[in-house]
Amino acid sequence: MAAGRKTIRFTLNGKPVETEIANHHNAVEVLEAFGLFGARESCAQGLCGCCTLLVDGKAVSGCLYLAAFLDGAVVTSVEHLERDGALSPVQEAFIEEGAFQCGFCTPGFVLMVEQLLDRCAAPSEDEIRHYLSGNLCRCATYPQIIQAVQRAAEKRKASAAA
Amino acid sequence: MMSFEIAEPQTLSEALALLDPEDPSVRAIAGGTALMLMMKSGVFRPTRLVSLRKLADAHTRIDARANGELAIGALTPLAALEDAPMVRSRAPVIAETLRTLSNVRVRNVATVGGHLAHADPHMDLPPVLIALRARVAVASRRGTREVAVEDLFAGYYETVLARDELISALIVPAQGERRAAYFKCTTRAADDWPALGVAVAVDGAGSAIREARIVLSAATSKPARLRAAEAILGEGTADAVLARAAEAAAEEADVMADGHGSAAYKRQLVRVYVQRALRRALGAPGVNERAQR
Repeated sequence: MAAGRKTIRFTLNGKPVETEIANHHNAVEVLEAFGLFGARESCAQGLCGCCTLLVDGKAVSGCLYLAAFLDGAVVTSVEHLERDGALSPVQEAFIEEGAFQCGFCTPGFVLMVEQLLDRCAAPSEDEIRHYLSGNLCRCATYPQIIQAVQRAAEKRKASAAA
Repeated sequence: MMSFEIAEPQTLSEALALLDPEDPSVRAIAGGTALMLMMKSGVFRPTRLVSLRKLADAHTRIDARANGELAIGALTPLAALEDAPMVRSRAPVIAETLRTLSNVRVRNVATVGGHLAHADPHMDLPPVLIALRARVAVASRRGTREVAVEDLFAGYYETVLARDELISALIVPAQGERRAAYFKCTTRAADDWPALGVAVAVDGAGSAIREARIVLSAATSKPARLRAAEAILGEGTADAVLARAAEAAAEEADVMADGHGSAAYKRQLVRVYVQRALRRALGAPGVNERAQR
């Protein structure tokens, strides 16, 4: 194999995969190579959250995550939230509350909200604002995003009770 | 970014053997959040990265020692430190500080050892750890040594560590009766790098203060204790004493201008935030609660 390259194997959205990467590539570039464009490199500094993905169940900034570090990991991108054609409660809540305008930042927000609600089923507005402080929406739909988080929490509660 | 070799040693001794005391283009990488920024901007052009991730299992433990100290493995992610009940009970100021350190995603990946070895003066934990008298265990092929966090930083992005040394653990004495607080001021956005950070730890109360540590970061090229201000607190905690301590702090601080604020502005921040941090630590009212967000 050429210098500066290596083969990595990992689980991507539930399926085992193998690919050759350049050592200087980041995780967003790996997802793009698999045709997954939900994580987008925007600020490239880990500040905006547009490139969020889950590695071993934890949210990371794909732009600051070396591709080589995905070797052996379980990787989940926003594309994996939909099940059998049905959106997740968080995705539905974003649509119902109109919690986006251009939509560029939405995949990152959605993944962060999934994490937040896994940690805390009914977060206060302060907890929501704090948890999402590392995600930027340049269309400034923050009020609607907070409403969407609250709605998603209710949806999850309702489906757990059903 | 130019390409480079990535080595993935399985043990600490293998990792140490892969470092090169003479070659600045060979560096250890843990979470990589800080190094990735340096590589993307071309500030750091590696030929070899020595990844520490396969050492993680052996170096992510948080143990309480019999003397109350916390021993924290250097590869512990900042989020794990933030969530550890033992940290919350024994050094609550660390958990409070972590809550506003960068963002959730960075805290999930960045490690304790990387945070310290990076030596960026804007980082939040170093001033807190200095105030708490913490120290690091440092390993190399020559053996291990301990360095007080107070003595770890040599300058702007510089530590006293040799290129073939690695931080293996952080040791934090229990906060005990000491009251501590950390305040930072971000001038552009809530989660921006700070223009200033102030950590204080006060042992004793009222007129019987036995020891006070006041540590300034971000406004300076490396975290620095403000000893003249600390000495004034020997006179007690009356408002007039705190005001004089803050005045002394503003005078002695070796403040540096940067994109977050001019030197004059930061000097005024020192005057204000030293008092706020002291009042927070002493539990006095009148603290601007909004600033703790």
